[in-house]
Amino acid sequence: MTNSIKYLLRRLGFYTIAAWAALTLNFFIPRLMPGDPASIIFARFRGKLKPEAMDALREVFGLTDGPLIEQYLTYLKHLLQGELGISIAYFPQPVGSIISTALLWTIFLAGLSLVISFAIGTLLGTIIAWKRGGKLDSFLPPALAFFGAFPYFWLAMVFLFVFGFGLGWFPIRHAYGDMVTPGFNLAFIMDALYHAFLPALTMILVSIGGWMLSMRNTMITTLGADYISFAYAKGLSSRKIMVKYAARNAILPNFTGFGMALGFILSGALLTEIIFSYPGQGYLLLEAVRAQDFPLMQGLFMTITLAVLGANWLVDIAILFLDPRTRR
Amino acid sequence: MATRFNDSVLVRWVKGILGNRKALTGSLLVILFVAIALIGPYFTYDPTAFLGTPISPPSFDHWFGTTGQGQDVLAQTISGARQTLLIGFCTGFFVILIGALIGGISGYYGGRVDDILSMLINVFLVMPGLPLMVILASWLPPGPLTLIGVLVLTGWAWNARVIRSQMMSYRGRDFVSAAIVSGERNIRIILIEIMPRMLSLLASSFIGASIYAIGAQVGLEFLGLGDVSAITWGTNLYWASNDLALLTGSWWTFVPTGLSIALVSFGLTLVNFGIDEVTNPRLISERKWRKHLPKSRLNNGITPVVRNND
Amino acid sequence: MIMLYQLKWKLSIFVYIRNNYQTLINMLFKIIRFIRYPIYMFLLCGLIVVITSCSSKSKESGPPALTISQEQVSSWVRNFNPLIPGGTSRWPTVAGIYEPLFIFNSIKGEYIPWLATGYEWRDGNFVLDINIRENVLWSDGTPFSAQDVAFTFQIKKEYSGLDTRGIWKYIKSVEELNDHIVRFIFSRIYVPGLDAISGQPIIPKTIWENIEDPVKFTNPHPVGTGPFTEIIRFDHQVWELGANPFYWQKDKPAVKRLKFPAFPTNEQATIALINGEIDWGGNFIPAIDRVYVSKDPEHHHYWFPRTGGTIFFYTNTEKAPFNEVNVRKAVSLAINRDLIIKVAMYDYTIPAHPTALADGLASWRTKLATEKGDWVAHDIERANRILDEAGYSRDEDGFRRLADGNAMSFEISIVSGWSDWIRAAQVISKNLETVGIKARVKTNDFAAWFSRVQKGEFDMTIAWTEKGPTPVPLYRGLLSSEYLKPVGEIAEANWHRFSIPEADSLCRAFERTSNESKIRSIVTRLEELFVEYAPAIPLFAEPSWGQYNSKRFTNFPNENNPYGQLSPNYPPENLLVMVNVIPR
Repeated sequence: MTNSIKYLLRRLGFYTIAAWAALTLNFFIPRLMPGDPASIIFARFRGKLKPEAMDALREVFGLTDGPLIEQYLTYLKHLLQGELGISIAYFPQPVGSIISTALLWTIFLAGLSLVISFAIGTLLGTIIAWKRGGKLDSFLPPALAFFGAFPYFWLAMVFLFVFGFGLGWFPIRHAYGDMVTPGFNLAFIMDALYHAFLPALTMILVSIGGWMLSMRNTMITTLGADYISFAYAKGLSSRKIMVKYAARNAILPNFTGFGMALGFILSGALLTEIIFSYPGQGYLLLEAVRAQDFPLMQGLFMTITLAVLGANWLVDIAILFLDPRTRR
Repeated sequence: MATRFNDSVLVRWVKGILGNRKALTGSLLVILFVAIALIGPYFTYDPTAFLGTPISPPSFDHWFGTTGQGQDVLAQTISGARQTLLIGFCTGFFVILIGALIGGISGYYGGRVDDILSMLINVFLVMPGLPLMVILASWLPPGPLTLIGVLVLTGWAWNARVIRSQMMSYRGRDFVSAAIVSGERNIRIILIEIMPRMLSLLASSFIGASIYAIGAQVGLEFLGLGDVSAITWGTNLYWASNDLALLTGSWWTFVPTGLSIALVSFGLTLVNFGIDEVTNPRLISERKWRKHLPKSRLNNGITPVVRNND
Repeated sequence: MIMLYQLKWKLSIFVYIRNNYQTLINMLFKIIRFIRYPIYMFLLCGLIVVITSCSSKSKESGPPALTISQEQVSSWVRNFNPLIPGGTSRWPTVAGIYEPLFIFNSIKGEYIPWLATGYEWRDGNFVLDINIRENVLWSDGTPFSAQDVAFTFQIKKEYSGLDTRGIWKYIKSVEELNDHIVRFIFSRIYVPGLDAISGQPIIPKTIWENIEDPVKFTNPHPVGTGPFTEIIRFDHQVWELGANPFYWQKDKPAVKRLKFPAFPTNEQATIALINGEIDWGGNFIPAIDRVYVSKDPEHHHYWFPRTGGTIFFYTNTEKAPFNEVNVRKAVSLAINRDLIIKVAMYDYTIPAHPTALADGLASWRTKLATEKGDWVAHDIERANRILDEAGYSRDEDGFRRLADGNAMSFEISIVSGWSDWIRAAQVISKNLETVGIKARVKTNDFAAWFSRVQKGEFDMTIAWTEKGPTPVPLYRGLLSSEYLKPVGEIAEANWHRFSIPEADSLCRAFERTSNESKIRSIVTRLEELFVEYAPAIPLFAEPSWGQYNSKRFTNFPNENNPYGQLSPNYPPENLLVMVNVIPR
């Protein structure tokens, strides 16, 4: 067992270094961009603000002029204390509170889509690998691949306009209805699901092909192993072989992919949220970049990086349990 | 189409692709679009000229209708292909180059070099791509070079890792040990002995990277982060969305470009399927078996492995 | 008899089942397995139906709410601080919750007394006395007085980050003479300062003097004098503002509730408009007749009066050949303004007037200046002639060469997010080709573009101009050296780096006088200077964007009833609409 603990600790060490690298990048990039937030806000008004407002804006946002290294160390120190600063675009709201609600919605939408997409995709992949050469095999992979080939936002817009705007079957914006008060009751949860239906559907449709194909490929490889032939020769039923032996082994590489995707849900939902006006993190990031809101950008980047690394680490642990071979 | 033992790799390859229905369809699709991209613009209206009445549906004059500004949609779709495909394939090429370089060196040499390089790969792998792309694209001056740079930076790590693991598995093989013992230089071993065997992997990586590049590029341009005054598929969609294409019911400004992107990506995916089927030993054997056995017998799903002329 | 028969029948069925239940169960499972796909589909559809029907479609209760779309955000942040620069506090904090002293009605071109009833200049324009309205209450019932006004200005001195109009650059002190008069003592004569002073939202002294850091204070429960001050609810996706029970205008506002759903993009806002969910909006909508009005011609209306400033095409006058007046005028003649308006502005506006004065300032236009401004037109022949005469000959590929031999090849810099101006720039680029100048459109994001433009490191660009109640801010930004800085240093205005000493002295004179006829002659002379020197090229008048839906509310301003600005984008003018709209 100590081997596995050593392995986990080594992975943890790696993740810490990766986190540090990402956060350092995150610190320097916004500061290398030309211009400053005061100019952005001024320019955003296209002339409605007087030139005199610039000085006032600069003072309000407290843009410091210390040496870069000093700012960097302060930045790291604040991060470790969990202090993310005050946003500029949403001044004077603290970054933490802006991110937290958005975070929840993104996790809800993207997490739901990912889990459903993975589950259905893997299932389909197993079935297709088993019934190779059948009707399903020649039809489904190309069809789903074709869906996945569309630019994601294009599909999302078409769905929005056909099903939401045109036919009116589903709501076209927001995470819940204007008349519903958020709370942990059935009505709210149902409403949230209703609003999440279209965005989740588009996300699932586009990604399901990928999961299905990779599962199919690993299944095919697994099915070539000797023990499968042996199990079949011994007389076990096809279904049992498929589920208990082949799928269980074939799913492991996919599971690593799933783990990585889990970490990336915080960033991947960007286009969905923009098109469906879903109040999540992705759209927040775009706004932060457009407004050159350093603190918000840094806060978002940090949550995303930590999520990715955290998810990866959790997957490492999970695989340790699922795959005895790694315990050696 | 039978392949003979002493066919060169390339010939065997081409024959394999031509024989595979999926790869053939895919290749034809891609070649069609590349041809359109190269020759098409000479036959259409000037895509930037403000020609007709804005937002007019497809008609004799303008086969795909006009945009919100009165520009010809067909011309825009065809001209847009050039830059999009160019950037897509360039990115794919550079991704493979860097991936093969770093992944190959890392996988071959092992030890300390491998530790450092694979740490590098993993760090890039773990960095969230889309936010980084958005931030970089909005910072750097808009243009094709920026796009290629940003896409390569965020996309090389995945292929590097794949190439690395493949390299590691080849490294342990007999022919490599034989070559080392007979005194060949490492570089020569990598380039001449190992790389040709990885050709299918490199090819499918190239295609995968190109698909990713086309999709990501279109996404960035749709957000307005590319060079908005250029004519590419992404900016076509940007302008269409800006003019509220779907709200005004002017689907013709939106659909042709989207379909083109889908068809090109789909074609590339099909080629990838084909390469997969041609090179994966288990799938090869299956095609051979399928010819001999009736279909129903294969529903047990087991994959027999047949010796290949490798 | 029949009953016995039925009983026997049931008994036999029972016996049959008991004997063969194994087979029957197998058959049952086989049937289920056979039709399992349709069953799955059915269950899925059932789930969808359940979800869709369970979503609350509850009815709104209470007085009808005027739904407004002015800001475009993805989720609301609760900030009602009227002192920080705009965009950070929620609309209508600055004018709606709080109110200013006067409102300048840009449609009528006059000041309307609001929280103040009048003003008077004294001591050779060194002193400004403002009379404060009586019998006004704050929304918590306490009386409003000159003390609040004086305090508002004093807090801007204490926290210079709040002084967004730079008032304390020319004010020496502010104090209340009594409960109803406030005295402003100037450190230097600056009559236009009235404009900045009159537009300041007034805050209650008793509350704000206890706030530790007014710069970072979000003011979650605002107390103001405006028509709407009560926050009914505030969620991330929607918030509602209720009427002020103590409002000083009797029986107003007739509307009791304002509602603000969050629309992150223009597209979403437009969809809501089309669906009839928005009553009042200030959005830019392409092809509005087709998109919006056609959906409900009886109730969907819009009004785009040209009361904004004029949009200009700036050439960097420090760069050859734009340092020559003739070249600038030739460039102006090459531009096809009608095409720009058709392509980039959906025909929503008209070409700029030769004096660059938009409709709101039309009364200041003079005949002489208009005639001399004949270079604000489309005449390619004349443009070519001027350039030929200036000695810029064409070479083989048709483009002209500069004196030093370099080709005339320039860049038009535009912000990548402003698609309408990008389109305009594309048209101009094509226009300039016809006179032999190569101009490539280059986009950058805000920050990069603005930094370049301010530093004077650009060739050409499209941008706005200064606005004000008189034409002076416009001409001052174009002609005077007040904002002039050398290339490489950031200049707040006058990015094209042009100045004439006469303009400087005229502007200085303007600052010192409050005499109507003197002001008029200053403006006339500035106009003449403008059309003579062509420091920059006027393109088109900037429309203001306003839409409304008259299904639930009426008495919005429009062409037939132009009592004020329809667009909500120009505080404090939106107050006029807010107090005059009536529910049906």
